[in-house]
Amino acid sequence: MLRRLGIAFVLTARELLRRPIVLLLLFLVPAVFVSVILAVTRQTPISFQISAIEEEDYLRVPERAEALVFIGLAAVGVLAAFVALHLAQRDSETMRRLVLCGYRPLELLAARLGVLALTVSGIALLVAMAMALFFRPQSLALMFVGFALLGWVYACYGLLVGTLLRQELEGVLFVALLANLDIGWLQNPIYYAHAQQQVVIRSLPGYLPSQVAMAAAFSEHTAAEILRPALLGFVYGAVLLLLAVLGYARRLRA
Amino acid sequence: MSGPLLDARGLAKSYGARRVLDGVELRVAPGEAVAVVGENGSGKTTLLKLLCGLLRPDAGEIARRGRLGYCPQEPLVFERLSVRENFAYFAAAYGLSRWREAMDELLVRFRFAAHTDALVGDVSGGTRQKLNLALALLPDPELLLLDEPYAGLDWESYLHFWDYAQEARGRGRGLLVVSHFVYDTSAVDRVLELAGGRLC
Repeated sequence: MLRRLGIAFVLTARELLRRPIVLLLLFLVPAVFVSVILAVTRQTPISFQISAIEEEDYLRVPERAEALVFIGLAAVGVLAAFVALHLAQRDSETMRRLVLCGYRPLELLAARLGVLALTVSGIALLVAMAMALFFRPQSLALMFVGFALLGWVYACYGLLVGTLLRQELEGVLFVALLANLDIGWLQNPIYYAHAQQQVVIRSLPGYLPSQVAMAAAFSEHTAAEILRPALLGFVYGAVLLLLAVLGYARRLRA
Repeated sequence: MSGPLLDARGLAKSYGARRVLDGVELRVAPGEAVAVVGENGSGKTTLLKLLCGLLRPDAGEIARRGRLGYCPQEPLVFERLSVRENFAYFAAAYGLSRWREAMDELLVRFRFAAHTDALVGDVSGGTRQKLNLALALLPDPELLLLDEPYAGLDWESYLHFWDYAQEARGRGRGLLVVSHFVYDTSAVDRVLELAGGRLC
């Protein structure tokens, strides 16, 4: 079983790496997003709350640094969701043929999840390192955790969408719609510090990971203090993943 | 072990109100080659998908014995992997550890050894179809279900396919070939026509 899993993992990774557009986007999206922020923001101090961890305190940080973290999260989420969508939708009929020939659906799924986890970690690391070029976060390691957590949640969302929708266009629209609303708009703590008290924003997939990344970048919260929202964010992604796994396994068996 | 490799009884399948298959009966014995012909839309591909387990029948029973080799009508292969990597993937699926000799033999027989390390997305449609067919033949399965296996093949490869089919029959393999036409009816034991949802 491990040998089959290994072969599926290696070949899935090779397939992904041989799509130039995917590699291009992995570098292009963060570069464009960061460039835009550098062009339109200043170092003016701004204040905002991190409501998932500390309800009362306001943080005061440079506008540019806050915007960089926010746009970094958006870049990670969008890329993770699109890679996951691609892995869930691409070659699904050929995967069914592999199952007919003897692969177990869970072996193929585990291989895809492994490739996805590596890719998302790579994206999160790349973006976190890029952020560190422009400002010094309080904790780079914890900020990376926040980025990786957002990548995890959005990758699980992308998998779920890819499992439910077989057509590429519909999948892209669903991913773009949520990413745009959530991590591209509502999770920005500058504009929505007060709105973050609202259930609708707290229930979106980007909420907990964004709060973890912001707290890690700008506050002196320790890993232990950030642990609870980080774990809850992980569980959020796990629930999406469970639904995606059930749908994917059903599709491969059907 | 005696008995048929494939025994389908009373198969029925509908898409909405349209009844595609209506009480299909079909058996394939070891060493037997059966061809199913029919017009476009007569339900040939649906029948084959039922027989290999990709679709579920609305009614009827299917019993299969031995390892199955299935060649779909449209090449279901990984375009961003090389021909060799596709063989490796499917060999892992079949649980084959010594598959390279079988791959080499198929590459030579169907004359696409020159493309072994090419990405499938970069080769011609005919070569893709050869790979599609070869992946079904890789484990030397007891039962072969082939949907338009020679569509897009050059004439020589077409002849090589039937040579392979005769050799496989000699080894006790059973073949079911679904096609618009069979040029050489002497190559098969029976030719059945699918019309009105039934085989005759």
